Amino acid sequence: MDDFERELTRMMREGRAHTPFDPGRRARLYEGIRARRRTRVLMRAGGSALAVAGLSVGLAFLPHLGSGPAPADLPLPATGSTAPPRPGGPTGTASGPAEPSTSGPPARSTVSGTPGDSTTTEPATTDPSSTDSGSVSPETTESGTSEPGFGGTPTYPPRSG
Amino acid sequence: MQRFRADGFDEFAAARWSALLHVARLLTGGDRQRAEDLVQESLVKLWFAWPKVAEQAPEAYVRQVLVRLAARSARRRWWGERPVGELPDRPGPGDVSAAVAERSRLEAALALLTPRQRAAVVLRYYEDLPEGQVAQALGCPVGTARSHASRGVARLRDILSDSARPVK
Repeated sequence: MDDFERELTRMMREGRAHTPFDPGRRARLYEGIRARRRTRVLMRAGGSALAVAGLSVGLAFLPHLGSGPAPADLPLPATGSTAPPRPGGPTGTASGPAEPSTSGPPARSTVSGTPGDSTTTEPATTDPSSTDSGSVSPETTESGTSEPGFGGTPTYPPRSG
Repeated sequence: MQRFRADGFDEFAAARWSALLHVARLLTGGDRQRAEDLVQESLVKLWFAWPKVAEQAPEAYVRQVLVRLAARSARRRWWGERPVGELPDRPGPGDVSAAVAERSRLEAALALLTPRQRAAVVLRYYEDLPEGQVAQALGCPVGTARSHASRGVARLRDILSDSARPVK
């Protein structure tokens, strides 16, 4: 600390005058505290009111959001033996894609007319509409259940139509 | 509840009012009315934090609030001028004592600093705080606080070079 800094310190401290904390200042201070407390209470009440209003609006819109087309209109999934039998379809299609009758044989039925091209087309295995709606094409299901093996050599001519 | 909450606050305010007012006056560059407002606002904030800081360091807390309020209020333009109906009496050349003249010169010089420089200089040289506490009160790193203080002192040295010669 050099001379100027010491002089600066002295100047700052010498100019200090005693100012009493008189009753007027005390009253003004506590009035300020009361005003600040009122402001805080009002802000807190306003914040609570805003939170309640936000929750109310959210809860009011929540049922409308839940009444969309999704869960209520969809058919219930089939559960085991309580599922009703589908007319005109095989029993294995309703039980899901794990059944062997829906995945393997239809591919071979489509290529039955061209014996030399047996590995090119398998459209029926990836079509989800055949298992969801139950309207599986008759030739696919029929050939899938009556096909004797995987050799690729048909034992009877394919049906037309 | 309120009495328990403010236990000791009134004594603290009465004991520290004068010192806080002087610090605020230095921080505002000699503006007495603004200094009183700053001290009052700082003590109001202290009252709400009193249960937490009463047993620890209320002086440091209120000093930090005061410094930040002073820096914030310096950015408000309406503190600069106050319209009055009548011009204040200007002191004549013969009725000003040396102490008052020196204090006025110091306050005028402090008013020319930036708020951060002024706060750093006041805390470092009037309050005699270490650099770490100055930085904490300013809310900045220690190096920044040191830079504010050194630049403020350099500028004060230029301004007060005529009047602040060491007394021999």
